[in-house]
Amino acid sequence: MSMVTSEYKLNQGPEDGITAVKFSPSTAHFLLVSSWDCTVRLYDVVANTMRMKYQHTAPVLDCAFYDPTHAWSGDLDTNLKMHDLNTDQDTIVGKHDAAIRCVEHCPEVNVMVTGSWDRSVRLWDPRAPCNAGTFTQPDRVYTMSVAGDRLIVGTAGRRVLVWDLRNMGYVQQRRESSLKFQTRCIRAFPNKQGYVLSSIEGRVAVEYLDPSVEVQKKKYAFKCHRLKDVVEQVYPVNAISFHSVHNTFATGGSDGFVNIWDPFNKKRLCQFHRYPTSIASLAFNSDGGLIAIAASYMHEMGDISHPEDAAYIRQVTDAETKPNAPSASPRRWPDADKTAAD
Amino acid sequence: MAEGEDVEWELCKENIQPLRRGRNMSALLQALSQSKDGLSPAILQQRQAFESELRLYNGDDPLDVWDRYIKWSEQMFPRGGKESNLSTLLEQAVTRYTDEKKYHDDPRYVDLWIKYAQHCLQRLDIYRYMKAQGIGITQASFYIAWAEELENGGNFLKADLIFQEGLRMLAQPLDRLQQFHRLLQARASRQAMNKVDDSDSDDETKQPERVSLAELKTRGKKAAVPIVRTGAAIKSVSRGLSLRAAPVEERSSQSSNSKVVIFDENKASAVPSEPKFEPWLAPPPARAKENEKAVEKWCDVKMRQKSKFGNALMAAPPPKPTFQPFVDESDETPKMTPCKIIPTVNNILSARKPCRDDTPLKRLLEHQRQQKEGETSKDPEKSMYCKELLFSGTTEFSLEELRAELYIKKKNSQAAVCPGEPATDTETK
Repeated sequence: MSMVTSEYKLNQGPEDGITAVKFSPSTAHFLLVSSWDCTVRLYDVVANTMRMKYQHTAPVLDCAFYDPTHAWSGDLDTNLKMHDLNTDQDTIVGKHDAAIRCVEHCPEVNVMVTGSWDRSVRLWDPRAPCNAGTFTQPDRVYTMSVAGDRLIVGTAGRRVLVWDLRNMGYVQQRRESSLKFQTRCIRAFPNKQGYVLSSIEGRVAVEYLDPSVEVQKKKYAFKCHRLKDVVEQVYPVNAISFHSVHNTFATGGSDGFVNIWDPFNKKRLCQFHRYPTSIASLAFNSDGGLIAIAASYMHEMGDISHPEDAAYIRQVTDAETKPNAPSASPRRWPDADKTAAD
Repeated sequence: MAEGEDVEWELCKENIQPLRRGRNMSALLQALSQSKDGLSPAILQQRQAFESELRLYNGDDPLDVWDRYIKWSEQMFPRGGKESNLSTLLEQAVTRYTDEKKYHDDPRYVDLWIKYAQHCLQRLDIYRYMKAQGIGITQASFYIAWAEELENGGNFLKADLIFQEGLRMLAQPLDRLQQFHRLLQARASRQAMNKVDDSDSDDETKQPERVSLAELKTRGKKAAVPIVRTGAAIKSVSRGLSLRAAPVEERSSQSSNSKVVIFDENKASAVPSEPKFEPWLAPPPARAKENEKAVEKWCDVKMRQKSKFGNALMAAPPPKPTFQPFVDESDETPKMTPCKIIPTVNNILSARKPCRDDTPLKRLLEHQRQQKEGETSKDPEKSMYCKELLFSGTTEFSLEELRAELYIKKKNSQAAVCPGEPATDTETK
């Protein structure tokens, strides 16, 4: 790579741990950052300025864009907030019975989805806005991802549930994580064929939603975010983000590294330099030209002194994110899938 | 109000496992009221509170939390079973402090061990392990539990030895130990006596007994019945109860030693194996599926005709009782609903395999070995997060949950220091 990669730290970052970074679905340079300091901040990453900040009464564990002008965020105090980014107006949309861990938007069904430690997923109609149903999960929800009209929920006890957002009457698929340890993060492929799941013990699994034996044969898992010393140090893999164009993904671990993977050729495309502390969250923007990296200590070793929490913006190139020679590989997905994804 | 609650309790009695300590009525009612569909939020919340306390406790008596958590679980999950997580909890609590010498004679810790042993199959092994580790060797309850287990296996001699060992160690409370020891000795001698009685019972004179439903010989014109109604006074027992004669004899010989016959479990277990000849019993229970006759068409089955020479071919009809024996209505119609046994779900209630490779004791030893190895840091891998905290108790915690618990704790303690804070907090809400 002869090109000089440009990377910079966001100004006026949160004062405590970062819980999530999320890019706007349409405006490639707006970024939401939620934090343990009870705020959600909106940044213009190109200008590197903070455009807005709003408060919760408790740490905000996740946030999401509904549309370019509305942010949704859920906090430890069980409140779900909708914030109008044009008028800077707050609305408390509703509550869970315990802290809200995940907030997602499903554009295909036009519904907001929240997952909580009260063992439930709730749907919210963003237009009213009001609650549109509560769906009990087998355990506390740790992570969630939307794949088209399907919702993939990862809970405590290593369980994975696939729901159909158009028909929430029953669970479409009940699975157990193929990894041995706690599920940290699940993100769906942009082509909606499957998902990637990361565990707390340095491992990532690539899984497919189609239950047929043929497709299920293709699933696999690999070790990553481990540092070889005298003993191998195994770090939690906290963050996954997909490149919307190439279907490649980035993972971030508590070792402070960000790796980009090509799931079709089972190759690592690149590794960025080591960040000062754990990677808590990652997000590619809508056109795949930028990646936001939240380097923020996650209390893996308890409440000890640690480097400053910060969010970085990095420009990524095709060389870093595009699968190599896709035609040569026998393991890549069928062409039909590829075109559907594009 | 109280009545309705009582009924609720009566209805699910069979689902309540007995506890030695007894059950807290209000906890029981709470537990039963939610047992219909999953766990109630209140119970989940309490459990979560215990789980976080397990992780965040930083006093000098961590066993206290485990002890309270386990006692709470016993009360709140009256059915025992998997959802209570009791055996996991007990195993964790017990293995966690095997190296903590200060707990070895703690009655709570010994109690947990005994409870744990009662959840295992090889209880005696567990007790021997405890002895070898020096856990509970000054506690009377340990010896009592051990001896009880031996006694249940019929080994009075060994049970006695265990008590003697306990007495030698001056286990506390000593009077309780002595009391149980005396009781054991009493039971042992009584059993020995019973055995002697059984062997010489033939020598005793047989006392004739009255027979029920027998016809008596009458005397005189008025056909008066004699005062002594046994032995020779009986005209016949055939009327109606001819088949009863055998059981009567059997009974009279059994009860001949004129003592009150005490129900003996060991004997009783042998009884059902002897088939009793009682022709008018209700049809056999529907349990014996393999003996059931398949349903057939009856319309084209021919009755066998009598032979030309009268009834010679027919067997003589058995003597029918002259009265209708009473049969429980519920027994009368065994349900014949078709019941397919699907092979794939047939193993739902498979028997627990007694000699599985992974016995609790093995796990214990494994745990100890790992701890020792961990000290020498031979582990090929090292987890770079507080694994101990996330995975203790019965459920896992995520890093965020742990941090949230700490955050809330910190906030609460801050609010306690400056009580003005929360008021302003609610205003901003």
